Amino acid sequence: MNEFFALFKKELKTCFLSPVTYIVMFFFWVLTGANFFWLLWQLIGGSPLSVAMQMMFGGPLLAIALPIVVPLITMRLVAEERKQGTFEALLTTPLQVPFLVLAKYFSALIYYMVLWLPAIAYLLMAGKLPGVPGFPDGGAVLAGIFGVMLVGSLYIAIGLLMSCLSSNQIVAAISSFAVLFGTALTLTLLAYNSQSPSLRIIGQYYSSYKHMMDFSRGIVDSRMVLMYICNSAWVLFVAIKVTEAKKGS
Amino acid sequence: MIKVNSVTKKYPARLAVDDISFEVSKGEIVGFLGPNGAGKSTTMRMIAAYLPMDSGTIEVAGFDVATQSREVRRRVGYLPESCPLYADMRVDEYLHFRAELKGVNRYIRKTRVNDVKEQCGLTEVGKRIIGQLSKGYRQRVGLADSLVHDPDLLILDEPTVGLDPFQIRQMRDLIRQLAEEHTILLSTHIMQEVEATCQRIMIICDGCIVASDTEANLHRMLQQKTVVEMEVLTSKEEFEEKLKQINGAELRMVSEQPHGWIWVEVETLSPDMRVDLFKLAVEQGWTLRELKEQPHSLEDIFVQIATGEGATL
Repeated sequence: MNEFFALFKKELKTCFLSPVTYIVMFFFWVLTGANFFWLLWQLIGGSPLSVAMQMMFGGPLLAIALPIVVPLITMRLVAEERKQGTFEALLTTPLQVPFLVLAKYFSALIYYMVLWLPAIAYLLMAGKLPGVPGFPDGGAVLAGIFGVMLVGSLYIAIGLLMSCLSSNQIVAAISSFAVLFGTALTLTLLAYNSQSPSLRIIGQYYSSYKHMMDFSRGIVDSRMVLMYICNSAWVLFVAIKVTEAKKGS
Repeated sequence: MIKVNSVTKKYPARLAVDDISFEVSKGEIVGFLGPNGAGKSTTMRMIAAYLPMDSGTIEVAGFDVATQSREVRRRVGYLPESCPLYADMRVDEYLHFRAELKGVNRYIRKTRVNDVKEQCGLTEVGKRIIGQLSKGYRQRVGLADSLVHDPDLLILDEPTVGLDPFQIRQMRDLIRQLAEEHTILLSTHIMQEVEATCQRIMIICDGCIVASDTEANLHRMLQQKTVVEMEVLTSKEEFEEKLKQINGAELRMVSEQPHGWIWVEVETLSPDMRVDLFKLAVEQGWTLRELKEQPHSLEDIFVQIATGEGATL
């Protein structure tokens, strides 16, 4: 367990000392700012509160940004170690592969949650706005943050798996973008645009855009929670197995 | 300390290590010598519990590498060939991180890091960023890292590769100092390095161990054929003619020098040909300027063994 914390601390440090981190942060914060601006316009335009709140965590801008931002966070995690050869140095210490993967996973998840910090600041600001009583709704905000974390945990697990599969960061980033964006787009299209009712139901079950909309309105469906936790867990399991198999290659 | 028992490792395209067995006892300093791609690194990686083997067993300090790999890794300090480091970390920071990762108790971590820094001559550069250090210093950081948890066994994969002659000498001295407290297995394809540092030499070629002995013994085994060099004042033809009087002498090379001198190399199976050659010169009334036996270098031994000439081994 000590090894886990040693690597976890080091990963966090590396992450927050890297320029890429701040470039990603800048663009994501610009997007969340634009998103908030859009939300305010909706309120001014007279949209009901529940609809405006959906914008907070589930706006289309963010739904498009996440499949781009997550690969940028996860691409270097394992691929860089392998490229530099430090992977060998790590695995000849008592550190075990599952702890290696988990330490990297949780450090990335923490950075991902830091990316969402401005959203909380916006909500505090919005609370001070005159003429919008009952905004923001505390429960909905908590559910929204929880939802963001669940979606992020799955996305990061997928990004990490792609980073485990390749020793090239660019390949890792592009393949995770392809998987994340491809599935998110397909499932959202199925959920909202499909003609066949059965496909539509499948889409609604799996589309993270749809889930974010629900979470933002304060709806926490335990089926969704379970789905995200299970999916993240098995993707991480595959990542661990891939890393073990690729040891020495 | 190390027991390797019929270990085989296959890569998809080739057989890297073919059924090797050897033992290294505690306190020994053993050099692994072989051409590039002979299987040195693969063997070391298997001992360091990084690569799984296809068959056979390896025991380090009484622990099985395959089933008790964590215990093995606790006791092994391994310096990989390319000496991989995090270029964006500072030396102190890196060594502390590695010490923590290797389970060095936090109460003694600082002392340990300071000790290995002193041992490896890194005290001055503790605050510097690794990426900005010279190759020699980086190699020392790698060595300090492999020492930080005070391992029983040190595995150094080509520790002097890429260093300048001065740094190589420093690194060798350092390794010799370390040998007092640790068992060391080091690999290289540079002969002088093993000659200078190791007590025992293992020559590996195409995945097989072709010789394993002390340097002196390896010399002795191959000493049967010696080469005598001599410089005399006579003509090439005359020398060739008269040399036939000596049984078993074979002319290996002859070259003409200025002012009528010739430089010859005579190969022979007899233990000492110098006396015969001296007598020949006296008989013929040749003026003799130099006469000496060529020492066998480890390089000869290595080439002979690697090319299969050392059939006696």
